[in-house]
Amino acid sequence: MHRCLIVEDDARNALYIANGLKELGYHCSVAPDGVEGLSRAMSEPWDIVVLDRMLPHDVDGLSIVTTLRSLGKNTPVLVLSALSALDERVRGLKAGGDDYLTKPFAFSELAARIAALVRRAQPGEVRQEMALADLRLNLLARSAERGGVPLQLQPREFRLLAYLMAHAGQVVTRTMLLEAVWDYRFDPNTNVIDVHISRLRNKVDRGHAQPLIHTVRGVGYALAVDLPDAAR
Amino acid sequence: MNGLRRLWSSVAFRLALNYGALVVVTMAVILSLFYWQTVGVLQHRIDQHISVTGQRLVFTWQREGADSLVQDIRDTLRDGMNTDTEIYLLLDAAGAKRVGNILPLVLPRAATREVVEMRTVRDGRVTDARLRAYDLPDGGRLLVGSDLQHQREIEGLIGSAIGWGAVVALLMTVGGALVFRQELEMRIAGIRRTIVGIEAGDLSRRIPISSQEDEFARLNREINGMLDRLEQLMDGVRHVSNTIAHNLRTPLTRILLGLRATQHMPNADQGEGLRQAARDIEELSVIFDKLLGIAEVESGARRQVFEPVALAALVAGMVEFYEPVAEEQGAIIASVIEPGLAAAGDRDLLAGALANLLDNALKYGGSGARVAVSAFTRGPWACLVVEDDGPGVDAADLERIGTRFFRVDRDLPGFGLGLASVSAVVRLHGGTLRFADAAPGLEVTIALPRA
Repeated sequence: MHRCLIVEDDARNALYIANGLKELGYHCSVAPDGVEGLSRAMSEPWDIVVLDRMLPHDVDGLSIVTTLRSLGKNTPVLVLSALSALDERVRGLKAGGDDYLTKPFAFSELAARIAALVRRAQPGEVRQEMALADLRLNLLARSAERGGVPLQLQPREFRLLAYLMAHAGQVVTRTMLLEAVWDYRFDPNTNVIDVHISRLRNKVDRGHAQPLIHTVRGVGYALAVDLPDAAR
Repeated sequence: MNGLRRLWSSVAFRLALNYGALVVVTMAVILSLFYWQTVGVLQHRIDQHISVTGQRLVFTWQREGADSLVQDIRDTLRDGMNTDTEIYLLLDAAGAKRVGNILPLVLPRAATREVVEMRTVRDGRVTDARLRAYDLPDGGRLLVGSDLQHQREIEGLIGSAIGWGAVVALLMTVGGALVFRQELEMRIAGIRRTIVGIEAGDLSRRIPISSQEDEFARLNREINGMLDRLEQLMDGVRHVSNTIAHNLRTPLTRILLGLRATQHMPNADQGEGLRQAARDIEELSVIFDKLLGIAEVESGARRQVFEPVALAALVAGMVEFYEPVAEEQGAIIASVIEPGLAAAGDRDLLAGALANLLDNALKYGGSGARVAVSAFTRGPWACLVVEDDGPGVDAADLERIGTRFFRVDRDLPGFGLGLASVSAVVRLHGGTLRFADAAPGLEVTIALPRA
């Protein structure tokens, strides 16, 4: 079970996040202010810290991240903020945050990003080969095959599949895909990503009894043998 | 005291008073110059007269002897001309008075070389006089002079005239300052009344403009122009808020009605109603996000992170991004991109704007649409043009697309915020957004200042 620390002064918001994450199988604790947040983040082991930027007594959440990092803590931190300007986002990431989400956000978006961060922090060698069921991906050769048959993928389609593969078993949102695969940060017409996925699906899943690319309604997509629990 | 302070706090009064003080000082300087000049000339003439008379008398003594001189002095004193000012005194070698109209007195040595001023007793009356002494060869001494009584009177007259003049000037200055203040106050009162009215909320108030074409008339006209612009902007803001309120209230009402209906359903059927409500709220949240996004762009905060953006690569990337969507509906995106095209800006905002335009072009172009994208340099501008061959936009509506919540075709999905967002992004970049009839279809041109 993953342990999650939520540093957020708005009690209702904190409860909302905590309850949602508990349903997904996280063990959650809430710290209502920066001082307690920092001390608990330092003294206990966590898999992820969700940090609000605006804390009581004019504490900037970013200073907590900076302190954590300077003390050698590498716990993944997801920064929540009502400040959405691009430079604020850049500042959040520069301060040592691992991801940045602007309020208001959909809970599904938060959950997907937390899952991705927790997963990324798990130790594991950098893999050149990834596999899921009979789907194989070679990052070095930039080649993919399913059931031993090579897939003809465009470079962008390969990046898309590689990202899904790296997050296999998790839900990834459209915004996450847009950021990671295309490096764009704007609100896309949902339709565009859907079309890209549907083309990829045509190449990966067509003619196979077992679909690997799943649509998670209202949230995004998941590459998995079975639709992950979190997405049901 | 209070009234005085209030008077002093009037800038018009202070200005007029200071100006008046300047005039008074100037006048004082001029009048004192005038005074000293006048008095100086008078004295000079007296001194000259004394010298001439003295030399004439000394000449008389040399030519005709002492007795003749005595006679001459007596005649002069008796002739009724200048008798009240002229002074003569002839002393013999022993210093005794032979003839004259003043008491003998001791003169400083300088008196033999120039005219000096002394106090004398003339006809039993003490008076100031200008005097000169001439030593005669027989040891006697001749004194010639002039009583300064008249001179003093004239000096007094001029002095008091100047004094009274100064008093009158001072009074006029203060009076002028008061009048000046009154006049200025009257001209400003119109402005003040208008401003008070506006403060109270009546933005339609304007300053009355007098027929006089002076500084105030010009100032008032400029203030009125500013007020016109302000009222226009306020109307714009009010319109935007009204539109936003309307567009948010409609879905809110729908959600509320849906939830009420769901409440009265049997438990088993409530799930679908709740899901619908959640979907509606999500949609509402999207509208909110988009509105906030536009507001954020309009606030100009993102201009701080402007950096050179490779437009050529950006456009190519976006075209590639949308190509599958086009293919899906049997449409084609043809692009002509000038290599190396760049502009200073925010890459993500520009990408979002372009995405909006491509979205629209494909949406309105429909299946089989042909969308043409071009990026090129024109003068100082980097131009991005997106053209579709859809039904286009009526000339009457060309003006209105780009305003929040305006939608050309309400049957197609959307919120009417896409082009509003594009317009805000382009404005933020100091560029221009132009819509034109592509016959058929719509041609949208974004012109950005080149990097």
